[in-house]
Amino acid sequence: MRFVSISFFLWLFGLVTAFAAPAAGHAAEHHALPLNAQPLHSFLPVTNSMIMVWIAVGLIVLFCRAATREMALVPTGFQNFSEWAIESLYDFLENLMGPHLTGRTFWFFGSVFFFILVSNYLGLIPGVGTVGWHLKDTEGHAAGFLPILRGGNADINMTAAMSFTFAILWFYWAITENGIKGLAAHIFAPKGNFKGIMLVMMVPIFLFVGVLEIISIAIRPVALSFRLFGNIYGGEQTLEKLMDLVPKWLAFLPALPFYFMELLVGFVQALVFTLLCAIFLKLICDHGEEAHH
Amino acid sequence: MTTFFAVVADQPGAFQTTKDTFGLNGPFFIAQVINFFLVMFVLKKFAFGPIQEMLVQRRTRIQEGEEKLKRIEKQLADSEANTAAAIARANEDAVRLITEAKEGAAAFSEQKSQEAIANAQGILAKAEAAGNADRERISIELKREFGRLVAATTSQVTGKVLTDEDQSRINEDALSKVGN
Repeated sequence: MRFVSISFFLWLFGLVTAFAAPAAGHAAEHHALPLNAQPLHSFLPVTNSMIMVWIAVGLIVLFCRAATREMALVPTGFQNFSEWAIESLYDFLENLMGPHLTGRTFWFFGSVFFFILVSNYLGLIPGVGTVGWHLKDTEGHAAGFLPILRGGNADINMTAAMSFTFAILWFYWAITENGIKGLAAHIFAPKGNFKGIMLVMMVPIFLFVGVLEIISIAIRPVALSFRLFGNIYGGEQTLEKLMDLVPKWLAFLPALPFYFMELLVGFVQALVFTLLCAIFLKLICDHGEEAHH
Repeated sequence: MTTFFAVVADQPGAFQTTKDTFGLNGPFFIAQVINFFLVMFVLKKFAFGPIQEMLVQRRTRIQEGEEKLKRIEKQLADSEANTAAAIARANEDAVRLITEAKEGAAAFSEQKSQEAIANAQGILAKAEAAGNADRERISIELKREFGRLVAATTSQVTGKVLTDEDQSRINEDALSKVGN
């Protein structure tokens, strides 16, 4: 209760300061986070978001090593926490996809969820997306802002990498679970117990539905990429804009309440991405899973 | 559907514009794919593998424990049933033994009683026979003594020396009068 009260008052105070700043005639120096990840050096093909991805990978490795160095049947500390996290996600996916598909694909879904989560939270560390250089063109005019670090999922290349990797794996799993014939039947064959003239009438309809389904399947990775990118980039942009609204010595305040919201968004987006991928896979492998039961 | 394809056909630069706006870049995309595969490899090798193995191991142990518990419960139930059956059997045996002992004791007692009765009857018969023999002997002796006394008395009264024939006749006469 105390936590909620403090958060509410901070949020209220942040709003007041945010709206008070323009009235006070403050001319904030704006440095919006660019829409795309940028290479840190023209000769070095490494973007600022890649640095964050590597940091995320390093942290995940360190955590995993700490959690699994001395495994015990009665878990404690890191092992206990990691077992809880992994088992909870596994059970959640198992309820959704069934034991067979989950056992086969958990390495992917687990990786997606934990990587997005860690990456999202790393992007909220103060300094990420805000510390960098103000670029100038050859004539000395302002030419944008280059942050040293940028949230991993605030880069469309990262979200697209995950989405298209999933798309390829989805196709592989769909074929291995259903067979090519089964996959085609799953997409184009009439659903329901139609017979006689009704079946003849339904065939063209379901063929058309199958074409729509293929378009939908093709659009999925694009939608997944932009959904995650948009939410994370939007969140970081919101925080920066709120900080720009007030004098620098008060910059932390309007953004503070939104940090709590971004913590929630970071988790929700990781869950949404994982959940959508799992549902897409479950939908196409439904027959395969029934056959295994 | 037609509209969709028409829009795409009318704007051939739409993809390029999107690509440029959002910074979608071939090499960076491939680099991020490699990074993502690195994440998957690391997590699979260092986290999911060992932890899932541990979870499976723990689940197996729990299942084994439960199976053991069930087995122990079954053994306990069997043992209790066996004990109850053994107690019941022992009770039956005890009852049977007691009954047999009672019957044996009764038969033995009866046998001994019969023997005692037979012995007593034998003793009584012998005693009776002995009594009869004694009485017969005493009677004969008495008769003989009586005959002798009668003969002696007759001899003294008559002063006559009695012959054996006389004595015998007097004895018979006296005994015939006394015997009844």
